[in-house]
Amino acid sequence: MNERSLLDEVLGPGGLSVVFQPILEARRATWRLFALECLARGPKGTNLEPAQILFEYVRRKRAESLVDRACIRAALDAAVSLPVKTQLCLNIHASTLGRDSQFAKFLSETAQNYSVPLSDLTLEIVEHTPYWNGRSFLATLDGLRASGVRIALDDFGIGLSNYSMVLDCRPDYIKIDRYLIKGCHRDIHRRMVIESIAQLAWKMGAGAIAEGVEDNADLEAVTRSGVYMVQGNAFSPPLAPSEVVANHQIRGEYSPLLLAGGKAASD
Amino acid sequence: MSETILVVDDEEAILFAIREYFNAHGYEVDCARELEEAEALLGFIQYAAVIADLRLTGINGAEGLELVSYVRERCQATNIIILTAYGCPEVEGEALKRGVDVFLHKPKPLPELAQIVFGLLKQKSKQKRNT
Repeated sequence: MNERSLLDEVLGPGGLSVVFQPILEARRATWRLFALECLARGPKGTNLEPAQILFEYVRRKRAESLVDRACIRAALDAAVSLPVKTQLCLNIHASTLGRDSQFAKFLSETAQNYSVPLSDLTLEIVEHTPYWNGRSFLATLDGLRASGVRIALDDFGIGLSNYSMVLDCRPDYIKIDRYLIKGCHRDIHRRMVIESIAQLAWKMGAGAIAEGVEDNADLEAVTRSGVYMVQGNAFSPPLAPSEVVANHQIRGEYSPLLLAGGKAASD
Repeated sequence: MSETILVVDDEEAILFAIREYFNAHGYEVDCARELEEAEALLGFIQYAAVIADLRLTGINGAEGLELVSYVRERCQATNIIILTAYGCPEVEGEALKRGVDVFLHKPKPLPELAQIVFGLLKQKSKQKRNT
């Protein structure tokens, strides 16, 4: 039998690595770097290297809180050496916020260890199971918000990341799931849904972010639907820490691909 | 594109032997040592066959049975082969009830195991062609 479970390997030294994917914001007709999403990868060369399999395994092991904490430590550890200082988006399971009563304290102490102000952090809530302890979930969320951390709803529009989460979490950002984005330039119904989410976000004082924008046609469609923050391969795939340097230097302010003269932004 | 097989066992030697043998016959092989690892893989990859031990913790568990149900809930087309040293008639009956295609007892020579798996895969692809 296994002496050392795969979970030990994930949590052990070097078990997790982090890549960064830029989130861009259209401002004054140029795309500017708004934030970097920190994306964890499992132990290299194992089945758990891809994030989707890693987190499916973690959820099945009911180890969300342990691994979320480890991912945050790894992300901040990698982020401090980046030449770009910007908002950092960190993923967190709703179940961690509901069950881990010490999470806010952990985040505060860890951020302090790395000299990262809490106001530079956005927690992206990933929802896969109903957060069973609603009161504790909301109390943790309130504490985090009071400390300056911003809250985003990840994968909005599919699964359990839905309107009830918007009401419960009152997010600062709503990240529209890639399922709704992919192919939206040729699907009016997708664009209608995107527009309605953009309006909802605007009315609630939140920002809408389109995830998984893979090409220029979809990029143009999402901006025309009122979403001015985007993430995806149309700009940049997830980057290793060393590539963030190179990419940033080469592309400067991420010059506009489509918003030439600010036309699309003002349409 | 070659078909992919998932092997689930907590003994490294068995995983290694099965992977090498099936690789040599042109199959892709993924290996998992834990039930949760296997389930995570099955959530994203469609396997032509799953070869699994019944006990994955070395104690008295029968995680293999859970795995059988998990696979069957998601995919009828995946062949399931249980390969175990702990196969009493009750467990074998339960496994078959849950949808196992073949229940085998360890030790099983690799060429024999392979012939059974190849036979199942051929049968399934024939059924697919006729539907």
